[in-house]
Amino acid sequence: MDLQINKNNPTIMHVDLNSCFATVEQQANPHLRGKPIVIAAYTTPNGCIVAPSIEAKKYGIKVGMTVREARLLYKDVIVRDPDPHLVRDVHIKFVKIFKDYSPFVYPKSIDEVVVEFKDTSAFRRGLVNIGFDIKKRLRKEVGEWISCNIGIATNRFLAKLASSLHKPDGLDVITYENILDVYSSVSLIDLNGINTRYEARLNSNGIFNPLQFLKAGEFFLRKNVFKSIVGHYWYLKLRGFEIDDVEIKRKSFGQDFAIGKKTSDPVELARILMKLCEKMGRRLRKSGSEAFGIHLGIVYEDWTYWHKSKKFNRAMYTTDDLFIKAMWIFNMRKKEKKVSKISVSCFELIPAKTSQINLFDIEDKRRKVSDALDQINDRYGEYVITPALMMDMKNLVLDRIAFGNVDKN
Amino acid sequence: MLFVIYNLWFLFMNEMIYEKVSVITAYDKNKGTVFPKKIRWQGRDYIITKLAYYHRIRQGQALYHIFHVTDGNIDFRLKLDSYTLHWVLEEVSDGSAD
Repeated sequence: MDLQINKNNPTIMHVDLNSCFATVEQQANPHLRGKPIVIAAYTTPNGCIVAPSIEAKKYGIKVGMTVREARLLYKDVIVRDPDPHLVRDVHIKFVKIFKDYSPFVYPKSIDEVVVEFKDTSAFRRGLVNIGFDIKKRLRKEVGEWISCNIGIATNRFLAKLASSLHKPDGLDVITYENILDVYSSVSLIDLNGINTRYEARLNSNGIFNPLQFLKAGEFFLRKNVFKSIVGHYWYLKLRGFEIDDVEIKRKSFGQDFAIGKKTSDPVELARILMKLCEKMGRRLRKSGSEAFGIHLGIVYEDWTYWHKSKKFNRAMYTTDDLFIKAMWIFNMRKKEKKVSKISVSCFELIPAKTSQINLFDIEDKRRKVSDALDQINDRYGEYVITPALMMDMKNLVLDRIAFGNVDKN
Repeated sequence: MLFVIYNLWFLFMNEMIYEKVSVITAYDKNKGTVFPKKIRWQGRDYIITKLAYYHRIRQGQALYHIFHVTDGNIDFRLKLDSYTLHWVLEEVSDGSAD
């Protein structure tokens, strides 16, 4: 017998700041309000757009386009750099508001939060009332230009879908009563987790819209479409049952850098790699971890990609450790080609100080020196003390906010 | 004529300035807030009409207060160093395309 749609009262709220980076910039600069602006990683023509404003979206400007493409769509579009301090501050204020309503607040990214209201006293007020209250408080406590989309449902998947139904500044609830109407008004690609490849896979199995997806049986999804347990998860998700309430543990720390002036000069590339290792090492040590593995990826000028990862039998903790191992991998690359992007990450994390004690106590001393250097940088500001290779490159690898989960380290 | 050119300089801009400026502030004891009321920059006075956003940045031990303000014509980003109590005008913008 088929599983029915979840008829419980909705307890999950998904809140999404509208065009976060751009709206925040408009909040801070009143003269940008109501104008098509884009926030781009770099303001140069090839800079990638990370957030178009609501007004820019009306001209067809989307995330991922280049500044050049945006100017072709609207020649007077205003281009600005991201201001990470400003956006992080808005995020903190944003999250703080939700904590007044529920202790179960899960930031999913810099502009997205999931709030669970099950067993909370606020639940009795009704989630729709709370939603309108949050919108009002956001305008009052964060800024009058800040708006958000709110979705309410029985699970995170449907709550996110609900939040995308009426942009900007919408508030929608999906329950067992309107779920069929909602599914009939959206396409497969509108469902969170379905991209063009999954869409093609569903299409090849005779599923062309969300209603057909909902009606597909569990066995069919598991055995024919997804050929794994993923099919079972989709079967539950589509019916409003929660399967996403798992805390994902951090498995790696990584940094990358797109090089403005492409180069094959090993000294210049080593300097960049050192800075990436220093930033990565600071985050690794701040989280109280050490890593056994390191991965290096290089995108060349001709868009070919080379990468290699390696695990070692001794854990890496200091920036020096990470840099030496990264350089070891780096020297295996194709040396003649110019590099346009370089990325480094460390993985196989374990809590620091649990790795095997070294016979020679020089290791312990190096760790203590590294911790002391971190403390100096914490106290007097980032890069007060740096490795000599990093001299004169303070602003080369800029502070950026990544997509996905919010980095607290 | 000179006056016109002087004013036209502000027509198309989003400029990083990083200059020390003189600022008159108002402190509200009830709200516990500080509001920059007037800026003197390059010999001209700008009366601030609105605080658009305020936040703090901590860099090591240093604490900076960032005020995004406007006089109705130009948006200013001001930084107050809480250690030295120096005000720095970091950025000006009139919201026009570059």
